[in-house]
Amino acid sequence: MKGRPAAMTVMGVCTVYFLTPIWWLFVSATKTRADFTTTAPLWFADVALVDNVREVLTYRDGIFVRWMGNSVLYTAGAALIGTLLAAMCGYALAIYRFPGRETIFNVVLGGVLVPATALALPLFLIFSRAGAANTFWAVFLPSLVNPFGVYLARIYAAASVPGELVEAARIDGAGEVRTFFTISARLMLPALVTIFLFQFTAVWNNFLLPLIMLGDERLFPVTLGLYTWNTQVNQVPQLRGLVLVGALLSVVPLVVAFLLLQRFWRNGLGTGSVK
Amino acid sequence: MTRHRSAVVFFVAPFGTLFALFYLLPIGYAVAQSLYTVERTGTFGPAREVFGGLVQYQRVFADGPFWASVGRVLLFGVVQVPVMIGLALLLALLLDSGLVKGRRFFRLAFFVPYAIPGVLAAIMWGFLYSPTLSPFTALTRAIAPLDAGLVLWAMANVVTWVYVGYNMLIIYSALLAVPPEIYEAARIDGAGPVRLAWSVKIPLVRPAIVLTAVFSVIGTLQLLAEPQVFRSFSSAVSSTYTPNLTVYATSSIPNFHLAAAFSVVLALATCALSFTVLKVSTR
Amino acid sequence: MKIPRRPLAVAASVAVLVTACSAPDDTADAAACTPGDAQSVTLTYTSWIPGIEEVVDVWNKANPKIQIKVQTGPNGNNGTYQNFFNQLRAGNPPDLGHIEYDALPSFRVQDGLFDLGACANVADARGQFIDWTWDQVSFGEENSAYGIPQDSGPMALFYRKDLFEKNTIAVPATWDEYAAAAEKVRAAGGYITNFSQSDINQFAGLSWQAGAHWFANDGDAWTVRLTDPETTKVAAYWQGLLDRKLVSTVPPWTTEWDHAYNSGSAWTWVSAVWGANSISSGAPDTAGRWAVAPMPQWQAGGAVSGNWGGSSTAVFKGSAHPYEAAQFALWLNTSEEALTLLAQKANLYPATKAGASLPVYAQGVEFYGGQKIYEVFAQAATQVTPGFVWGPTMTSTYATTSDGFKTAVSGGGTLTGALAAAQRSTVDTLKSQSIPVKE
Repeated sequence: MKGRPAAMTVMGVCTVYFLTPIWWLFVSATKTRADFTTTAPLWFADVALVDNVREVLTYRDGIFVRWMGNSVLYTAGAALIGTLLAAMCGYALAIYRFPGRETIFNVVLGGVLVPATALALPLFLIFSRAGAANTFWAVFLPSLVNPFGVYLARIYAAASVPGELVEAARIDGAGEVRTFFTISARLMLPALVTIFLFQFTAVWNNFLLPLIMLGDERLFPVTLGLYTWNTQVNQVPQLRGLVLVGALLSVVPLVVAFLLLQRFWRNGLGTGSVK
Repeated sequence: MTRHRSAVVFFVAPFGTLFALFYLLPIGYAVAQSLYTVERTGTFGPAREVFGGLVQYQRVFADGPFWASVGRVLLFGVVQVPVMIGLALLLALLLDSGLVKGRRFFRLAFFVPYAIPGVLAAIMWGFLYSPTLSPFTALTRAIAPLDAGLVLWAMANVVTWVYVGYNMLIIYSALLAVPPEIYEAARIDGAGPVRLAWSVKIPLVRPAIVLTAVFSVIGTLQLLAEPQVFRSFSSAVSSTYTPNLTVYATSSIPNFHLAAAFSVVLALATCALSFTVLKVSTR
Repeated sequence: MKIPRRPLAVAASVAVLVTACSAPDDTADAAACTPGDAQSVTLTYTSWIPGIEEVVDVWNKANPKIQIKVQTGPNGNNGTYQNFFNQLRAGNPPDLGHIEYDALPSFRVQDGLFDLGACANVADARGQFIDWTWDQVSFGEENSAYGIPQDSGPMALFYRKDLFEKNTIAVPATWDEYAAAAEKVRAAGGYITNFSQSDINQFAGLSWQAGAHWFANDGDAWTVRLTDPETTKVAAYWQGLLDRKLVSTVPPWTTEWDHAYNSGSAWTWVSAVWGANSISSGAPDTAGRWAVAPMPQWQAGGAVSGNWGGSSTAVFKGSAHPYEAAQFALWLNTSEEALTLLAQKANLYPATKAGASLPVYAQGVEFYGGQKIYEVFAQAATQVTPGFVWGPTMTSTYATTSDGFKTAVSGGGTLTGALAAAQRSTVDTLKSQSIPVKE
C-alpha cells in the first residue's frame, strides 16, 4: 500500500509545523533573560523554569494566579450556563409551536452574524449607565449569550428528540420541564458538548470586551493580563520573559481539560453537520 | 397550540432576555449613536451632541484607508480561508482514512495551537519571524516576513496555525458520525481511498465544511488582536490596517459617533458576506 | 437562513436610548474646590506606573482620612486612555488618573479635567515645578492647572564610550558632527543609532529642541503646524541619514531593538532620562561601556534640549472630592519620600526643581561607568524650551504620522511627506470633532 508512507509524511510535516512554535515557547520559558537572546532558540540553556514559574506566580502578590482563576470563572461559568440557556431556548423552538416562533429564530440567527466587536463599546456604555461597568458581571453576563448555540440546539433537538417520546412522557404525567431535564437533555448531550466547546473557546479568546469593560486589574482574565504586561515591557523589561512563561502556563490547563474531555468532544463536535 | 405556554416562557425567556439586553440593545444604541454628531464653540468648549442624520456615514464612505482595509481583509479571506479549510479537510480525511497510525497523538498535536489565544499566538510568532532571534534566521532574513509585501500573509499563517486543528476536529467528528455501512457499498464498487474521500466523504461532511467556512469569514472581517500585536514589531502594519483597527483607533480619538458608524457598516458587511457564503455553498 | 428585517425591539430600544443618551448636564460647580464634610473619603486612582501601589501605601498609612484605591491597566495609549474616555462619557471616571502631557489636551477637549487652579496649595505649588512642566498642565493659562506635573523626560545623548574611543571618533556636540560621526560609525561596521519609526513622541522631542511648535491655540481656533520650518529641518536631517543608510530602522521596543543595542550594532540613542533604564535592562551585556553627553545642538555652542515623555496626575471632572484628590496629587509629586519611591520603582524623573537634587540622583551609575549621569539630565531639564503645545487629538496625529514614517523607512515616501499627510489628516480629525481649526 503506497498510500501509507505518503499519509504519514503529510502528518509528520504538519506535526512539525504545529508543534515547533509550542516547543519554542516551552524552551524559551525555561531560559534566563540573558540566555533568551543569546542562546540557540530551539534548545535548552541553563534551565531556570522553576525560578521563572515562581517569578510569574509571585509577581505583584500573585496577580497571575488570580487572572487564571478569573479566566476559569468567565470561561467555564459562562459556557456552562450559556449552554444550558441556549439548549432550553433551542429545544423550545424545536418542540413547541407558538406564535412568533419563526420570528424569534430568525432574529437570533441574525445575531450569529453580528461581529462581537461591534457590540463591545455600546455594551460598555450601557453597563456604565447601570453602574455595573468594571465588575465581574460586565464581562460574564454578555458572555452568556450564544445565538449560535440556539441554532445548533434547535437543529439537533428536532433531529434527535422524537415527538412521541415527549408525548409519552406527558402521558406518564411528567411536567414539560422535568421531561427536558431527565429525557431530552440527555438525548441532546452531544450537541450540548459542541455548544459548550464553541462558547468556551469564544469566551476564552474574547479580548476586546474585557479590555473595554475592565479597569480593575484584579478582574482581568489571563489574556488581558498578559497583554497588559506586554504593553509595559518598556518600563519593566523583565515582563517580557514573564509574558512567555505566563503564556505557557495558561495553555497547560486547557490542554489537560481537552485530554480529559476527549471522550465527550469526539462524539459531540460532529453535530454541527446535522442538517 | 399554546397549551404549554408556561413551559415555552420558562425555556425561552432566560435566553431571550439576555439576548435582548446584550445584543439588540447595544445594536440599537450603536445605530442611534451613529446618527449624532458633536458641536462645540471655542477651542476647549464642551461638546453638545446634536442629531446629524447620515453625516457620519458620509465620512465612512469617504474614508479611503477604511475601504482599503476592507479590501485587504477580503483578499486575506479569499486566500486564507480556503487554504485553512482545505488543510483541515485534508488532515481530517487522512485521519479518517485508516492510513494513519497514532491518530490520538496527531489529533491532539494539531489541536494544541488552538489553546493559545490570538493575542499570545501573535506575540509568539513575532519572535519566530524576527530576523535576529528566530530559530530560522536564515529563512526570516531571506524572505523578511514582516516587510510590507509579506506581513499580511505572515498574519494569515498565524491565524491558520491557530485554527486548522479546530476546524479539522469539526470535520473529522462529522466523518466519524457517518455510519460505516455507507462506505461499504463504495468499497465493493472498487473505489480507492482517494475516490472514496472525494465522491463519498466530502459530500457527506459538506455541512460541516460550510459551517467552518462561515465562521472563518466572520473571523476574518473581525481581525483585531493579531494586527494590533503585529503593529509593534512590523513597520508595515498601520493604525488602520484592518476595519476593526480603524474602529478602535477612531473610538480612541475619541470620536464615538464616527466609530459607531464604522461598526454599523462593518456589521452589515459581515452579515451580507457570511450570508452570501452560506447561500453559495449550500446551493 | 434569514436576516431579520426590522425587529421591533431594536426600534423600541433606540427610542429609549436616544432620549437617555444625551450628554449628562454639568451639575457640579466647576470652580469649587474646598474640603468635603465627610469624615473620611476613599478616592480611586488609575495608573500604569509599576510599583505605584507601594507609593500609595505610604500615603494611605499617613492619611487615614483620605484613602486612595489604586487601579492599574495597560499603558495609556494601549487601552487606559480609551477606558478614561469611555468612563468620562458614561459619567463614572476614577477620581484621579495618570495622563501624559501629550494626552492632556485630548481630555480637556472632552471636558474631562477638573481645573485644580482653585484648590488650596495648588497655586502655591507652582513655583516648585520646573516652568515648562507647569506650562504643560496649565496650557499657559494663569491660575489654571489641569493636572499636577509628575515626571519629565529631558533628553540627552547616550553613547557607547568604548566604541567611540576605540575608533577615535569625537563625541558629537552638534547635529552636523553627529551626521559626520555617523559616516565613521558606519565605516566601523555599526549604526550611529536606530531611527525609531513609531516613537513619534521622540521625533516630537527632536523637533521641540529645534524650536518647532506643532500646535497653537489662540482661544478661538487651533493651528496645526506639523510642517513648520523647524520640523521640516529635523525631518530632512533624518531623511538624509536614512537615505545614506547610516541609521538602522528596527521597530522600537522589541527584542530585535534590544538586540541592536546589546550586540553593539547601534552606538547612540538620543533619548530621555528614563531611557537610562531602558538601555541597562535591554542591553545588559554592554554594562560599563555607556556614557551620557548633552543633546547635539543645531547651533555650535548652543544649550537647548528637548523633552520626550513626562506625565501628570489629573483629577477628573465629576470627582466628588477634588480638594482631597489635589492634596494627594501634590504629595505624590512633590514630597521627597514619594519622588524617591517613584524614582526607585518606576524610574520617573521628577518635574520639580528640587527633584534633581534628591539623593537617588546624586550617585554615579555603575552601568554608565560610574558617571553621574543625572547631572547631565538636571542641566537638560532647565534647557527645555517652554511653550510647546500638544494638540487635542494626539492619538490620531501620532497614528497617522507613525503610519507615514513606517512607510518612509520601508522605502515608500519620505518623512516630510508623512508629516504633510499627518497635517492634513489632523486638520480633518479636528473638523470631524467640530473643534475649530485655522487652515
